[in-house]
Amino acid sequence: MDDIIAGSYVFTGERSAKSYHINKMAKTLGSAATRAQFQADEAGYMRAVGCSDEEIELVRRRDWKALMEYGASIYLLLRIGAAVGHALPQIGLHTSGKGV
Amino acid sequence: MATLVGGIGTSHAPTIGVAWDKGQQKEPLWAPLFEGYVPARKWLTDIKPDLLLIVYNDHVNQFFFDAYPTFALGVGAVHAQADEGWGKRPLPDLPGDPDFAWHLARSLVDDEFDPTICQEMTVDHGILSFLPLLTDSNWTIPVVPLAVNVIQHPIPTARRLFRLGAALRRAIESYPKDKRIVVFGTGGLTHQLHGAGFGRHNEAWDNEFMDRLETDPAGLSELSIQEYMERGGTEGVEMIMWLAMRGALGEKVKRVHRNYTAPTTTGYGLLVLET
Repeated sequence: MDDIIAGSYVFTGERSAKSYHINKMAKTLGSAATRAQFQADEAGYMRAVGCSDEEIELVRRRDWKALMEYGASIYLLLRIGAAVGHALPQIGLHTSGKGV
Repeated sequence: MATLVGGIGTSHAPTIGVAWDKGQQKEPLWAPLFEGYVPARKWLTDIKPDLLLIVYNDHVNQFFFDAYPTFALGVGAVHAQADEGWGKRPLPDLPGDPDFAWHLARSLVDDEFDPTICQEMTVDHGILSFLPLLTDSNWTIPVVPLAVNVIQHPIPTARRLFRLGAALRRAIESYPKDKRIVVFGTGGLTHQLHGAGFGRHNEAWDNEFMDRLETDPAGLSELSIQEYMERGGTEGVEMIMWLAMRGALGEKVKRVHRNYTAPTTTGYGLLVLET
């Protein structure tokens, strides 16, 4: 099976393993309380759940395209997007390389 | 004895729930989708089901990649709504049916399908986006959810889901209580949520898929996961879950209703079948 199809990433076990901590961080954003903590201090929140400096920087830049290339799950990018006010059309377009 | 009275294939998407909650049922963008559900809702009301068995996928809301089950069965009395990142929608928790669900667990394991058994299982838009379009949202009909991993590869083949459907039918027909059961398969249709193909959907393939779901489900079940993703997008691969519904219904089916529309990034299909 190809791991990139029509320019889109297949979420393989290898990608899931590489992006484990960024995805795990995003999974914690399933309550108003945790979203508020994240919004108050994104870098501190991410560091506390095990994210690397590189991962923190990608989120700081809202670089959805680089986050997909890094291996993140689209569903968990949407979770981060919900916490920072970026919705699917904006995130999807950015990952396509057409958005800003 | 329980009876399988029909099957519904339907897309699911968060946007359906947002549009529904905002009361956009009559807006030109959404009316073709919402109006398409009206005959299906009437059919479902008239057929008086006691239970809905829904084969769907979680979107990393209940489960995470620390332990991601290929199949997971909700056996609890209640299935709470997940907060998907935007807060919960104004919907009550879904009632379950533990007695049937545990029977289903035993029957599936005897049949060599081995779901993770979940006494607590939150559900997300994989069920809650379309369900208010089809039933009263005070949820008078219990739901047994069966989640399938279509997110983290390797994912089960289309053939495996088609065979799962046959196992669901055997479970229904071996349940000793009188219950009228409708089986759902939900996902897709074609959509691509990221990358160069963002927003891509494939109307011709969506319609071919719905045609062949009626007449040639065995042929659809022979297509590889790679082929599904090439035709319908890496996220559109969800559509293989319709094959579980179809596999439950047996060889011959009668189409009651069909609708297709693609107002946004996703091909939205709806198909109601009777045995």
